[in-house]
Amino acid sequence: MSSIVFEKIISLNFANLLNAIGLDFEILSSYTFVVVCLGTMILATVAGMVGTITVLKGQSLIGDAIGHSSYPGIIIAFMICMSLDSVSLMIGAIISGTVAFIIIQFIDKNSKLNLDAVLAVILSAFFGLGMVLKSFIQGHPVYGKVPQGGLSNYIFGQAAFIRTIDVHLILIVAIPSLLILFLFYKEFKIFIFDEVYAKSIGLSSTLMYVLLVLITMSVIATGLKLVGAILISSFLIVPGITALQWSNRFSHVLIIAAIVGSVSAFIGTYISSVYAGMSTGPCIIVVMSGLAFISMFISPKGLLANWLRRRKYLNDLSKSIFD
Amino acid sequence: MSENIIVKVEDLTMAYHDKPVLWDNDVNIIENTRTAIIGPNGAGKSTLLKGILGLQKTLSGTVEIMGKSVKQVHKKIAYIPQSNSVNWDFPTTALDVVLMGRYVHLGWIKRPGKKDIEIAKNALYKMGMQDYAKRQISQLSGGQKQRVFIARAIAQNAEIYFMDEPLAGVDKNTEKVIIDFLKDSQKQGKTSIVIHHDLNTLADYFDYLVILNKRIIAQGKMSKTLTQANLDAADMGGGFKINV
Repeated sequence: MSSIVFEKIISLNFANLLNAIGLDFEILSSYTFVVVCLGTMILATVAGMVGTITVLKGQSLIGDAIGHSSYPGIIIAFMICMSLDSVSLMIGAIISGTVAFIIIQFIDKNSKLNLDAVLAVILSAFFGLGMVLKSFIQGHPVYGKVPQGGLSNYIFGQAAFIRTIDVHLILIVAIPSLLILFLFYKEFKIFIFDEVYAKSIGLSSTLMYVLLVLITMSVIATGLKLVGAILISSFLIVPGITALQWSNRFSHVLIIAAIVGSVSAFIGTYISSVYAGMSTGPCIIVVMSGLAFISMFISPKGLLANWLRRRKYLNDLSKSIFD
Repeated sequence: MSENIIVKVEDLTMAYHDKPVLWDNDVNIIENTRTAIIGPNGAGKSTLLKGILGLQKTLSGTVEIMGKSVKQVHKKIAYIPQSNSVNWDFPTTALDVVLMGRYVHLGWIKRPGKKDIEIAKNALYKMGMQDYAKRQISQLSGGQKQRVFIARAIAQNAEIYFMDEPLAGVDKNTEKVIIDFLKDSQKQGKTSIVIHHDLNTLADYFDYLVILNKRIIAQGKMSKTLTQANLDAADMGGGFKINV
């Protein structure tokens, strides 16, 4: 019996095999799918690793603020260049994200406001400015002549429309970011774990912050077209949170975050390709968040394990009292 | 024994936001001593250490360690911060933390090698923590955590130890391990500068004393410096009587 099954599997070609596990070969091999999938997977891998550091540093929301704050930069870049060119819009996003970040740091240092309040104000101020500018140029006699349909894609993202040049841009950002993480792995480790000690051995925490913001900013800027200003922060935060549930070693956490990111990107892109009307970015995030919730429940550090540990402890305790 | 000054602080003034914390302080730490820094809450003890180590901005004053500036002697000084300055949620093991003591010798980018791991393991052993090498740092007790941080300082193989309340919240056993370590280090020619809060154990644990209350009240040999008059001058005399 089993040999028949075996022969049958052998006789199936690759396409049928994929069909057999429920994947559509036709879609998987289409050019659009390959481009979108590569783009989202590389982005999610890098974002997951970089985001793990911001999560551990207790700065998850800064990514969110920078994401939202980059939107006016995109509109202003469009107004200056009068085109939807990915590169110039990305530069606009980086500049406005950086300005927002500097303002956040300045207010945080010089006022008694809590960081979360500062983040909320800057985030909505910048994003609001972006929306105002966008509606301003819509009916404008000069700007109105240039097609600007692509601009709203940067709010929620439109991964289905990315082209090879966008994948190249993602690669240009991803490779140096990963290289920085790899080269300065040891420095990041001590900077996150014990910043005061790191300073005492001469490691400049300013330099580490600059590096961290630099790679966070570039990941956000390249991700905007795919995922949008509103949701990009989940690419940074969610894989890290998931990975932290599964391991006690920093290196493993980084690898798990990368895997969670890329697997979610693959599944999300696939789902959005199979079912018409599903947006890629949100699909990926739903998959990612699903993995995060499952991990919070069943992982070694999750709710279930905690509950079992507590029950065992109480059982042992009552046994030792009554015996 | 000649009295070499190993840490020389002159005219040090520091502020926290707008409030001055330390005024115009001269401190001399003598080589090869176990020096305690004491003072009431808010006296600026931690600030003084941070100022000496260049971790916090100073408004004025100069600091010399072994005749050089701090930036030239990072390898020679080991700082053990207060345990609340550490990110306990960070996924790392006890051995990994001790290995961080080797980073200053490795410089940028280079990873710790077999020799560094050997040194780190030895340091854990000296602190009686060898069985906990693989343990996640947050799962250790307060005393065990403190031993891991001392092991990190040992792995760093420094000449001067700066410790910010290493005995706060640790068990009796760990307290003994730490004090034995300080005495051993002194035998090896090393110097420790420790912020301490327990006046009862002060004279047993340390041989030099700095009394601080925003200004230096007194400093010098324990027997000469630990006097009722000095404690009163630092607002620390209340309820405590010296019985020598």
